[in-house]
Amino acid sequence: MVGTESPVRRIRIRIFVLGLLLFGSLGGLLARAVRLQLGEEKKLGRVAREQYQATVSLPGRRGDIRDRNGVALASSVQVDSIFADPRAILDLDEAVEGLAGALHLPARALRRRLAEKGRFVWVKRQVTAAEARAVEGLGLSGIGAVKESRRFYPERELAAQLLGFTGVDGEGLEGLERFYDQVLAGRSVLLPCVRDARGRLIAEETATADDLEGAALDLTIDRALEYLAQQAIDRQVAESHAASGIAIVLEPATGALLALAVAPPFNPNSVRPSDRDALRDRAVTDAFEPGSTFKSFLAAALLQEKVATPATPLFAENGAWRIGRRTLHDHEPFGWLTLARVLQVSSNIGAAKFGLALGRIRLHDYLQAFGFGARTGIALPGEVRGTVASLRSDISVATASFGQGVTATPLQIVTAFGALANGGTLMRPYVVERIVEPDGRSVTTEPRPIRSVVSRAVARTVTKMLEAVVEKGGTAPAAAVPGYLVAGKTGTAQKADPLTGGYSADKRFASFVGYLPAQAPRFVIGVFVDEPKGKIYGGEVAAPVFREIAEGALRQMGVPPTEPIPAPAAPVAAATPATARPGGPRPALKLAQAATRPLPPTPPEVRP
Amino acid sequence: MSREDIGAAPRDRAGAGVVTAPPDPVLLWAVFALVTLGLVMVYSASAVTAQALEHNGFYFLERQAGAAAVGVGALLAVLRLGYRRLLPFAYPLLLAALLALVLVLVPGVGSSVGGARRWIRIPGFSFQPAELAKLAFVVYLAHSLAKKREKVRIFSVGFLPHCFVGGLAILLLMLEPDFGSSVALALLLFALLFAAGARISWLVGLLLAGLPIGWLAIARSQYRMKRILAFLDPWAHRHGIGYQTVESLLSIGSGGPWGLGLGAGREKLFFLPEAHTDFIFSIIGEELGLAGAVLVIGLYAIVVWRGLRAAFRARDAFGAYLALGLTCLIGVGACVNLGVAMGVLPTKGLTLPLVSFGGTSLVVSLVEAGLLLSVSRSAGGFLLPQSRGEAARARLAGGLA
Repeated sequence: MVGTESPVRRIRIRIFVLGLLLFGSLGGLLARAVRLQLGEEKKLGRVAREQYQATVSLPGRRGDIRDRNGVALASSVQVDSIFADPRAILDLDEAVEGLAGALHLPARALRRRLAEKGRFVWVKRQVTAAEARAVEGLGLSGIGAVKESRRFYPERELAAQLLGFTGVDGEGLEGLERFYDQVLAGRSVLLPCVRDARGRLIAEETATADDLEGAALDLTIDRALEYLAQQAIDRQVAESHAASGIAIVLEPATGALLALAVAPPFNPNSVRPSDRDALRDRAVTDAFEPGSTFKSFLAAALLQEKVATPATPLFAENGAWRIGRRTLHDHEPFGWLTLARVLQVSSNIGAAKFGLALGRIRLHDYLQAFGFGARTGIALPGEVRGTVASLRSDISVATASFGQGVTATPLQIVTAFGALANGGTLMRPYVVERIVEPDGRSVTTEPRPIRSVVSRAVARTVTKMLEAVVEKGGTAPAAAVPGYLVAGKTGTAQKADPLTGGYSADKRFASFVGYLPAQAPRFVIGVFVDEPKGKIYGGEVAAPVFREIAEGALRQMGVPPTEPIPAPAAPVAAATPATARPGGPRPALKLAQAATRPLPPTPPEVRP
Repeated sequence: MSREDIGAAPRDRAGAGVVTAPPDPVLLWAVFALVTLGLVMVYSASAVTAQALEHNGFYFLERQAGAAAVGVGALLAVLRLGYRRLLPFAYPLLLAALLALVLVLVPGVGSSVGGARRWIRIPGFSFQPAELAKLAFVVYLAHSLAKKREKVRIFSVGFLPHCFVGGLAILLLMLEPDFGSSVALALLLFALLFAAGARISWLVGLLLAGLPIGWLAIARSQYRMKRILAFLDPWAHRHGIGYQTVESLLSIGSGGPWGLGLGAGREKLFFLPEAHTDFIFSIIGEELGLAGAVLVIGLYAIVVWRGLRAAFRARDAFGAYLALGLTCLIGVGACVNLGVAMGVLPTKGLTLPLVSFGGTSLVVSLVEAGLLLSVSRSAGGFLLPQSRGEAARARLAGGLA
């Protein structure tokens, strides 16, 4: 029995052994699973999540910037940006060749980028719709597209320096875009995503538009007026081969900016390196020696301090007056002048003498009160103060009286004229009317008076004197607007020459700042032309631009004429504003009104 | 040769194939549970890939379900016919399998995937000869060992021929190359020779002779060498040859005790290659966690347990060896696959029997299960103590009752 039993028994034992081995193996595997899934779960899970968990930053949609009528000046559009996951690219040659063709990129640089380590590189950002389609058509693995927000300026050059522009990541780099970057910027939302091994992302949550959208800015700027100002200043800068030009239109009652144009222009949709000098908003970033426009503030101070009246006479030394070691000159020799005439003919010697009469402390205080030497507080980046500090010597008081040796920004000058226009109150200028949150809440900017500088009566009297400037016999008849009374002042400042330390022989800063209708001013308009060639006087270079903008502004805002339109007897004069218009009896009458006293004996060589 | 030689119990002569006992229900349910789990997990693991490749997320599920239907049909047919009908086909089947292994190497007939010729494509249908070869080899060995009985202990009769046939099949598999199936076949040969009573010294000798061959096979092939390196330290080769292993470990490990939830796994998002075939267990571990791993290992343990039980209770030697061989085929296949997935064995292309995607694998696995179930229908066999006489068996039955 044993002989036959034993093989079967042996087989049974051996099968049993095999069974033990199999069960042992399964048991070992079970132990391994326990170890992996309980013991090393944290570590392995973390590594696993690292490779498939991703967050996608959905860039917020930047808020629009709109003009006072809701016309978009800066907007955001969704465009594709092409990226690559270098690890997921199967055929580098194919990818380089395809992408270089579709995106118009240099193949060598592209190859270098696609050969990078890491899981994400930009191939080309903010591509056109056609380029995006071309890339999609290639069907390459490891290449994907994401929607990005791109800033778009539908009006191109219009108000470019005021608006500024954004960088490729949507960050504001200049102008309002920079100043209000935090406000405009949409809140980027980090969305948790699952990334597959081919680099594609699958979002697990969504974000709503309200989460993403930034606030919008409603500006005080009027698009049509801005366009007008931009056109006019661009043309003048080009014609006079000037370095730059600035035109500002301000509402004197509120301080709201209606237009702010800087020439030469640039296109914020595609900023080029050569635009470098055109980018900044010179109206606030650059301080110039303002020149004779400052005589207006001197006059206001003299009247307010009762140092002089419009009829107070003084002798203008026939064109040359030695003060200390320096000699002041007028652009032509004058004899006896009243204060009103000093403004009308823009006598430097007259201004200097009146300034010395006012005294350095009062002159300095009034210039400060008109806002010089301090930022206006407009919400624009890079605003400078200008300098009115160093009125120590008689010569500095004398020159400051006609706007040399002190500096001011064009916006400061226009804002200060606003105080003369509105009855003596300096308003803080502003350009953002309202900040509108995506949910509809909004914050409105209230007009803010800074201080009362001169009395209403003084402001009125200065205005009367400034009206004479644009009349026959004044320095800026080219600024006259038929049907309206215009008050204004020219400025033709010599520019400091950084090489010699003295003044340049030929470089001028020509300006005209005025407001109208003079009885109840709606607009203060400042036109500034830096370094014009050929014609250099503010009355020649800036005044015609003032008139062009003023006529447009009146038309645009529907301001009815306050004066009788000159009779058809002089139609030619109305059509050619740049030439001195035939006077007629009206200007003389008004001059008589402004100068409440009879004119003192005056040599007849007053500028024709 | 005649039936008498095969060592069947005398009663078989009365009515071959007439068996009255029902198939083992535990085994049956374990098999169906594995196939069902496989269908669910194949869908979960393959949907993303299927969508990307075929624009139909159900592509692999549909094919797997089709294969499952064919396989279940085959299983039922095998059950109905009985495993003993296979006896006359043992040698033809072996010949056919060897022929297929040769054919698959012929360019034009065999189709190459990833540098290996493992598929024969006939229009509308393709299959892996290796899967058939494993089944055919088990049937052949069971038949041959049962026939030779005690002659198994004679070197030239019981050892050498089997080693020769096995070696031939392994050689053909290595030419594809299909290292995984070769190893599985070798293990099978060992297991059955060992069980049938081959002397330990021969087996040790065979092992010693096989080692240099195996080493040569590994060392001469760059990708196998790399796989060994990757196996020894997968993390050092994480972005290269160790990638698959590391991803599999990450997948299983991140599942934790209860998993990320069915369908919520991430590794199938193209991180883990072959997620729905060879690495299906990684996805199970990730989505169902340790619970899923325990379920899978438990189900295989049940299959092994009930398979060995069927072997013990087989009424003839052929049935016993066949059941043992099939149990080893499924059990070893499962162990190797799970071992690879969990990084305790080097990577090789072996499917998880009954679970992984793969038509041939699933159909053949279900046929194997059918055969196993068929063997399980016999009650009391030649391996049972005192099973040589009806009286003894009756006494045992009475004693148990």
